[in-house]
Amino acid sequence: MEMIKDNNQKRELLNEKNKKLYEDILVYVRLSYNKSEQETEEILMELLDHLLSLQKEDRDASELFGDNPRSYADEIIGELPKTVTRKSLCLFGMGVCYFFATFTFFQGFLTTLLSYIFDHIQTSRTYALGTVFVNSFSSVVIAALVVYGMIRYLRWSCFNTWSKAFEVIFTGVLFGIIPFGLFIALFYFMPAFGVVINLDVYWLMPIGIILFLIGQWLRKRA
Amino acid sequence: MSIGSQLLKGVLEGCILAIMARETVYGYELAVKLQTQGIDVSEGSIYPILLRLQKEELIIGEIKKSPHGPNRKYYQLTDKGKKSLQAFRLHWESLKYPVDRLLEEKEEK
Repeated sequence: MEMIKDNNQKRELLNEKNKKLYEDILVYVRLSYNKSEQETEEILMELLDHLLSLQKEDRDASELFGDNPRSYADEIIGELPKTVTRKSLCLFGMGVCYFFATFTFFQGFLTTLLSYIFDHIQTSRTYALGTVFVNSFSSVVIAALVVYGMIRYLRWSCFNTWSKAFEVIFTGVLFGIIPFGLFIALFYFMPAFGVVINLDVYWLMPIGIILFLIGQWLRKRA
Repeated sequence: MSIGSQLLKGVLEGCILAIMARETVYGYELAVKLQTQGIDVSEGSIYPILLRLQKEELIIGEIKKSPHGPNRKYYQLTDKGKKSLQAFRLHWESLKYPVDRLLEEKEEK
């Protein structure tokens, strides 16, 4: 989007202190994911222009954002129009399709490739459709929760000054180890049920491509 | 929210409409104009109001390309906004003197 590029360039004109503050607000407002992008970028640009004018006159950023930038950003977010739900749904569907497209395609591709190198790798797999369905659905829920959690976390961390080391460990456990553990547990412990089919793994590649195309289509509709 | 800030918001909305009835302005310009009128509010407080006025279709913002300075979003009143300003004016007129009188009486005692 044109305006985002403009914003990136213009932001370089801010001094260090103003830049830090403005970028906190920028990230915080942009992460209010259910708002109209156009309106969001417009108001961010206006605030940036205003801040630049203040800076030229040697005035402090607090004259614009007040003493509590977070609550000011909340006020802005509260007034931004919500984006149409259809668009969010399409984008969500797109994400889900890309997620499974990548997973399926590469599983098919890598297994096929490896089976040429190592003889003992089987090219035919057995799938219990009920299990596949439940696992896929649970994966989407976990992935969505992780993404939602990360957005919440990033917004919450915007105006904080934590030590980097602590942050890395904290986020690693919360968004890496816990979800990954859940995934493993899901695929390891889920009993096989439903119709059982045998499939040669190279079929996973065209399935992946079809999912990718559906994702593309949803993206265009959004 | 305190009564004071709610009152201020409503009045500020009216003042913003009044300025836009005279000319199209962009955000920073608007803040400066309010201050030169002696209406001393935090400059940032105009932006949430501008967003709300747009949502209510009382004003309309348009980004205009400018050959020299940055592109700016200029605001002007809509027909609905003109009516809303008229209503604000009536409310203000009917309240201004009674409230003044009431507050002055209290101080005399």
